[in-house]
Amino acid sequence: MILRLIARRLAISVAILIVVSMVIFFITLLLPGDPAQAILGQQATPERIAAVHEQMNLNEPAWKRYLLWLGGLFVGDFGISAATSQPVAALIGERVGASLFLMIAAAIISIPVGILVGIWSALRRGRTTDTAITGIALVLAALPEFVVGIALVALFATTVFPILPAVTMQPPGTQVWDFPTQLILPVLVLVLVVTPYIVRMMRATMLEVLDSGYVEMARLKGVPERRVIMRHALPHAIGPVAQVIAIQLAWMAGGVVVVEFLFRYPGLGQALIEAVNYRDVMVVVAITMIVAAIYVVVNLLADIVGILANPKLHTRGGN
Amino acid sequence: MVNSTPGVPHPRRRHMRRRVLGAALALGLASLLAACSGQAIPGAESVGPGTPVDGGTLRVGFVGGGAADTLDGAIATNLGDTARAVNMYNALLYRDDDFALKPMLATSVDPNTDATVWTAHLRTDVKFSDGTPMTSRDVVASIERIVDPDDPKNGAAGLGHLTEVVAIDDFTVEFRLSQPDSALDDSLGQYTMTIVPEDFDPTAPVGTGPFRLQSFTPGQSTVLERNPFYWGDDVPFLDAIELLNFNDTDALINALLSSQVDAVAQIPAALAEVIDSDARMQILNSETGMWLPFTMRTDVAPFDDERVRQAFRLVVDREQMVEQVLSGYGTIGNDMFASFDPAYPNFPQRTQNIEEAKRLLAEAGYPDGLIVELATAPIQAGTVEAAQVFAEQAAEAGITVKINRMDLTTYWGDYLEYPFSQSFWYTRNFLPQANSGAMPDSPFNETHWTDAEFVDLVVQARGETDEAARSELIEAAQATMYERGGLIIWGFANQLDAYQSYVGGLEPNATGIPLSGFQLQRVWIGEVS
Repeated sequence: MILRLIARRLAISVAILIVVSMVIFFITLLLPGDPAQAILGQQATPERIAAVHEQMNLNEPAWKRYLLWLGGLFVGDFGISAATSQPVAALIGERVGASLFLMIAAAIISIPVGILVGIWSALRRGRTTDTAITGIALVLAALPEFVVGIALVALFATTVFPILPAVTMQPPGTQVWDFPTQLILPVLVLVLVVTPYIVRMMRATMLEVLDSGYVEMARLKGVPERRVIMRHALPHAIGPVAQVIAIQLAWMAGGVVVVEFLFRYPGLGQALIEAVNYRDVMVVVAITMIVAAIYVVVNLLADIVGILANPKLHTRGGN
Repeated sequence: MVNSTPGVPHPRRRHMRRRVLGAALALGLASLLAACSGQAIPGAESVGPGTPVDGGTLRVGFVGGGAADTLDGAIATNLGDTARAVNMYNALLYRDDDFALKPMLATSVDPNTDATVWTAHLRTDVKFSDGTPMTSRDVVASIERIVDPDDPKNGAAGLGHLTEVVAIDDFTVEFRLSQPDSALDDSLGQYTMTIVPEDFDPTAPVGTGPFRLQSFTPGQSTVLERNPFYWGDDVPFLDAIELLNFNDTDALINALLSSQVDAVAQIPAALAEVIDSDARMQILNSETGMWLPFTMRTDVAPFDDERVRQAFRLVVDREQMVEQVLSGYGTIGNDMFASFDPAYPNFPQRTQNIEEAKRLLAEAGYPDGLIVELATAPIQAGTVEAAQVFAEQAAEAGITVKINRMDLTTYWGDYLEYPFSQSFWYTRNFLPQANSGAMPDSPFNETHWTDAEFVDLVVQARGETDEAARSELIEAAQATMYERGGLIIWGFANQLDAYQSYVGGLEPNATGIPLSGFQLQRVWIGEVS
């Protein structure tokens, strides 16, 4: 039962990815302007444009280029970048690592912090700390990431306390994590934007569970409060929260684009912006597919957690 | 559309260097003089870069570039490409800070009497960054590489009339032309006319410039190190330069304010005052011949009517344009280009005249005004703003300007086709400018201008080697543009850069190339206070 549910989710995910790839591929083709012209800028001469067209297979019909590309995907070939004539995989390989690093660092901080603050806030329902936390979470959740980013840069890098680097800079051949201070602000922005949702969801579900009959029953039976929360309340609250965390993680895969732009962070987002400017279809599609895949995988995991945490499914599909 | 100027001995700088070499004596003497006169020694205050010091890495930030960045100076397109081109390579000639053409790898480049053959005498002491000496064979190979019909480089557009480049001996090269060109030296002095070894490989670039490649990540950063074989007297003070790409101005300025970069190229005029008010920063304000014209196609309606073009020129309040678009950092224009050319004429300044504009429009058949579409894109700082200011000014004369704002790629896709649009050009002299953008066979004739009188005068000027006679021809050609051309040249923009106060050696430079024409061999990093 559970396995069948998961298998179905998996099949849907693959279908979604294929649809996404088609949509992205053809939408990128609809962008006005020609890639060769974009790369050569004002210096373009007809001879050089013709040469670039030839290199990029731009003379083939679009559907044929799509099928060629899709076929390549199955053997791990992402195609050739129009801007650099290099394989796309090599071009974005390092950037995938840098972006994932940023997202994972933010997730490692915001998930436990969000859960703990949410629980703490729920347990102190109605008191000043609870009201303060709810208020702050509400304000932060309402702010777009670039507002948070610009405020943090002004506060900690340029104007008020110039103590942290404002942008990411590393000499060629080094990795972003070789310069930890440069990571503080980008990670902090993601954390500040993601955590409030987790806090609010955790607090809400926790309150619901605390008010439920079985928690009351456990308390009446004289189970110690600590045990009530850990064994009875928390497991029931974690399912819905996993969904919110998944949405937040998936959001990060897209929101990271803005953060990378703001902090000159050498990740997928920056590569995507550049590729769109160059009409570099292969790179745009590859990056969008990676972001879409992150979305799908994270949602799949949340579904699985939801399925596993659902007591009804457990009892029905017992064996 | 970029222009010339790499780096070579700078007279003032060489002078300064000598002073530094005799440091103890010079400083002792200077302080003695200061003590006597009771005056401070310029450049020796506690704040500021002080006198030149050796060593250090200069971190330079700029907006632009990407995966298509190149190490080949002959196809430089964006700011990063330009910085690499200027610092890794040299051309035969170069433009100095005052936009004068000066010898670089050649000691002289002279025409014969009818300007159909030019002879370049090369320096004999030049070595490439791998230690091999430069000879005329390398120069011939470099020029042939640039005009290669299968893969023409940027400079090829100005050398369409070149039939042959011949090595006469080890250090003499002859350029033979199919038609006279009295300004060939200007073409050869473009910074993209890079001289490279015969066996040049752009993936392992070797040049004659003050710096050579250490590492390169397209769209991210480039590290250049001091070239130990550099031939010039002005050996770099810096050990290395780090060129850093940014994708937007905010991140660039933040990097400057948080001291992550030492200098940034090209800042928006609106920010100059804010940065200047910060004691840690300086603004480098260079008057240049860079212009952001409106281009009216002289072959399609309504601009095929001379009176309409005149009316459009008369609605512009040029002072307001310079004030609002360039925040005052610029000079007003008079619908003629090449303001740094010695032959730039002093015709009466055209000013806003709404009444006259209305009268001309009525005469041309638009008594109730007309509607035009203006194609624009952020092709250079200020273009979109200029479009907006123009739309407001034109409305006073009954002209409705519909602004069609595009992104860069879309804009360049149809560049040269728009009836009414905008462009930008860096500092150039009259003949090279006319050849690139105002003649019927120019690659970038944005206004589709085919005025017989203008063409005739330019052709005559191309063949005239006598400077005074040529100036007269140029002035007459400019008069035709001033009277009936398709360009609205409302002003010339200053080049604005910003740097930390401890950076020394940056001088205003008229070429329009940022940070002293990117001649970073003159720059040093002083005491950080």
